[in-house]
Amino acid sequence: MRRSGGRLAAVAVVAALVWTLAPAIRAGEVVTLRFSNWHLVETVWGRSLREAIRIFESRNPGIRIVPEPISYGEKEARYQAECAARRMPDVVKLHNFSLAMFFELGCAADLTPFVQKEGADFLKSWYEFPIKSLTYKGRLMAMPGDYMSMVLIYNRELFRAAGLDPNRPPRTWEEFRDYARRLTRDTDGDGRVDQWGFSMPASKNPGLPLRILPMVWSFGADFLTPDGRRSAMNTPEFREAFRFIVELATVDRVTPPGVTTFGPQDVRIQMAHRRIAMKIGSGWTYPIVNAINPQLNAAEVLEAAPVPAGRRRITAAWLSGWIMSPHTAHPEAAWRFIKFLTSKETEKKFFEDNRVISSRKDVNLLPLVKMDKFSRVIVQELQHARLEPQLKEWPEIFDAFATALQEAITGAKPWERALLDAHTRVEGILARR
Amino acid sequence: MHGVSRAATGWIGPRRALRLREPAVGYLFVAPAVVLLIAVLVYPALTTLRLSVTLPGGQLGVQHYGQLLSDPLFWQVVRQTAAFVVASVSAHLLLGLGAALAVAGTVPARGLFRVVALLPWVVPDVVAGIVWKWILNPLYGVLNDLLMAGRLVDQPLEWLTHPSLAPLSLILANVWRGFPFVMVILLAGLQSIPQDLYEAASLDGAGSWARFRFVTLPGLRKVLVVALALDTIWEVRRFGLVQAMTGGGPGTLTEVLSTQVFKQYFQFYRFEYASAMAVAMTVLLLAVSLPYVRMIMQEE
Amino acid sequence: MRRRAGTVLATAALLLLSVYVLFPFGWMLVTALKTEQEALRIPSTWWPHQPTLDAFVVMWTRKNYALYFFNSTVISLSTAVLSSAVGALAAYGFSRFPLRAGTFLMGFILTTQMLPGVLLVGPYFRMLSALGLYDTRTGLVIAFLTICLPFATWMMKGFIDSVPRELDEAARVDGCGWLGIFLRVVLPLSLPGLVATTLFAFLLAWGDLLWVSTLTHSESMVTVTLAIARTVQEFYVNWPELMAGALIGGLPSIVLYLALQRWFVQGLTAGAVKG
Repeated sequence: MRRSGGRLAAVAVVAALVWTLAPAIRAGEVVTLRFSNWHLVETVWGRSLREAIRIFESRNPGIRIVPEPISYGEKEARYQAECAARRMPDVVKLHNFSLAMFFELGCAADLTPFVQKEGADFLKSWYEFPIKSLTYKGRLMAMPGDYMSMVLIYNRELFRAAGLDPNRPPRTWEEFRDYARRLTRDTDGDGRVDQWGFSMPASKNPGLPLRILPMVWSFGADFLTPDGRRSAMNTPEFREAFRFIVELATVDRVTPPGVTTFGPQDVRIQMAHRRIAMKIGSGWTYPIVNAINPQLNAAEVLEAAPVPAGRRRITAAWLSGWIMSPHTAHPEAAWRFIKFLTSKETEKKFFEDNRVISSRKDVNLLPLVKMDKFSRVIVQELQHARLEPQLKEWPEIFDAFATALQEAITGAKPWERALLDAHTRVEGILARR
Repeated sequence: MHGVSRAATGWIGPRRALRLREPAVGYLFVAPAVVLLIAVLVYPALTTLRLSVTLPGGQLGVQHYGQLLSDPLFWQVVRQTAAFVVASVSAHLLLGLGAALAVAGTVPARGLFRVVALLPWVVPDVVAGIVWKWILNPLYGVLNDLLMAGRLVDQPLEWLTHPSLAPLSLILANVWRGFPFVMVILLAGLQSIPQDLYEAASLDGAGSWARFRFVTLPGLRKVLVVALALDTIWEVRRFGLVQAMTGGGPGTLTEVLSTQVFKQYFQFYRFEYASAMAVAMTVLLLAVSLPYVRMIMQEE
Repeated sequence: MRRRAGTVLATAALLLLSVYVLFPFGWMLVTALKTEQEALRIPSTWWPHQPTLDAFVVMWTRKNYALYFFNSTVISLSTAVLSSAVGALAAYGFSRFPLRAGTFLMGFILTTQMLPGVLLVGPYFRMLSALGLYDTRTGLVIAFLTICLPFATWMMKGFIDSVPRELDEAARVDGCGWLGIFLRVVLPLSLPGLVATTLFAFLLAWGDLLWVSTLTHSESMVTVTLAIARTVQEFYVNWPELMAGALIGGLPSIVLYLALQRWFVQGLTAGAVKG
């Protein structure tokens, strides 16, 4: 009895020692965070992010960041599978419409407690709108990253060559169509058109909604009725917008052939090689186009202008958010990294390197941002910008639209028929809710 | 060498081959494969089946199947998949058999041809899709440039966007990438046909057609069935090439079952509906392949 | 005379087929040798005006293709060897023994291939994570085995069925056991089939994208096919680089084929001597 009591005491002493020593041991240990981001595979963004990671690591010797590159298209599929197996990377970046889906699936940690610990004024540096958009059922589920409006990007030299005033971009859609016609030309005289007025990524890709929504909205149309229960794709405004977009390709022929196969990068390549004069883009456009073809002298030649207005002056907003895995083993370290990624200093770096506009007011007030000819327009247009619908069914609804757009452009169906079929399909999708 | 000749001559004789007896030993040979497959596939199969009958509230029901069967898009995709598979598999068979016979024969440089005809197979199907998309590119595509330079067409062809041309372009690429598999498997099959059979047939005065009809084809029968069965299943599952080349477009005209399941699952987050579609796809495939199973298990 | 006519015809047909087969490779090479600027010229230039090896250089300097090749080779070879070995054993069992459940099991094996891969991603993910094999080459090999093994079994069944049964009997009389018959008679005689099966499994694992992109996540697990596919993306497309990758990426498989071709073509003779 005494013996076992002694043994018990010994165990207790050892346990107490371990208990007190453990934090010390843990402090000496290096915490590893998995960080997944689609920008890691890009030329410009990839370099910038890796530099940021090095800065963070040098200031936080206890934390090591393991970058995991992923492609833009495959990220949702993988994070979802990883989340279901409780193996999601500790920190990931998503854009607004899949963010809502991940909140709903429980694949994002609640950041509210971390934010509260930072003090009452912590969130004051951000615009209200992105913060509100990333709040789900009263909890902040992601920290806002870049936040931009879609604008018209055009090539001033091609404008001049076509006899258009490079300082007077088109302001209405009628004007836009007229410009586009004059910018569609055979430049080398071989009888084949080799420069087009406008291009858009009309394949089924996640970048299409951002380029289509400004057009549809500015015609005064919308995909859904205000209560979100029915399709509004049969309204006269919507039909007018749809017909306008389709006929740019079929009647006016101001877009390059094969527009329904293009992804966003195809369009950027066309712009970089002077194949097209106008496109809809945002902050990221200039550095990527510049990297594709430095000889274009994009800084001088490209210009940004508000998207032409129709019945309304409106455009689409891009918003990304940083998510922490709900299953992370190191929430404190992950928060520290997210805080670093969204700090004024890092956001300023991201602007300098990638020209993406921050969702922080204090960054956008920097002279650096205010003086930049692209950023000026993008920040100014934010007041007219709306987000894509935050709806679980949105990807499917937009897919129905993209199907109709492709059918009408390629002549598989007359445009009225294609649009009607899409409308019926969307009604079916909404009826399921 | 002599041993084989004698035995092989005996093989074509009327004597029926003896079958080894002990089934228990047979099961021992089969066990590793079967156990491994059960271990890794039963759980996913049950998960899929369960998901396909899970309703939003958590109860069980077959509503997803009802939705599926009443969706015209589903039936359109089934038809397109069938057309894609039938066209691909028959072209694979035709080219594969032709190429195998040709390079097994007396053509000059057949060693070289044997390597050349294999080449497309070493290109992963996604990459093949991207490469063909590049060749058929509406702006920079070399095929249109060639055709126009040769004055064969005067307008660039809309390979990937014309509603009736796009499915054909897809098949063009898929045949390119897929026929070497059939060729290789048939070429291997041809090697196993004893040379004596041909000699015996020649002595009997059989012409080349008769030799093909009565020696080659029967000798290839089993291997041919296997090649067809595997190719059929493989083409129904074909995903990367279609996704990379057309993404199912224009509209939904080149959408196949595998791309639809992918979209429903990973892009529309309709896990239950996608599972129902996958189960339906499995049932369809099962129906198609039952005759193959019967043929492969048939006694000579 | 007729025979010669047949040969001429066959040669002509093969030449035609070669044009179809080689044309994309030719264009891949031409594109790989161009600058990106030239690759995007309209109309395209038939031959690079300023040929450059930049696209190939990038593979080894800016990207870690040496590692990707190592990953792909290890994964594909293991898959190929394991699946053809286990598949051949099973096929021998199905072919030579009167199994009551034979038809059912062969059907089952084929059925396992009918579920679309997309649906397997989630469950496999959970299974491999539970086993601690997520993001490992071993995990990938297991995933590939489930695809390759059924195909290997079916293919080998076809080939083993074509081996005359009298040879088994003869070997049995000579005192061979079941395994002896399999190893000394059946396998050598179905060597061409075994080679085709191995090649098949190797290429299947080599060309996969779905499993590699969902069952691994770290940069050290990237395979050649994944690396190539990543040159065409939302924010980054480089055609010369893609074509260079596609060309170089195929080389190991061609080497494997050339190495195996010896047995592939002489299967019967080689086997007969041993048998």
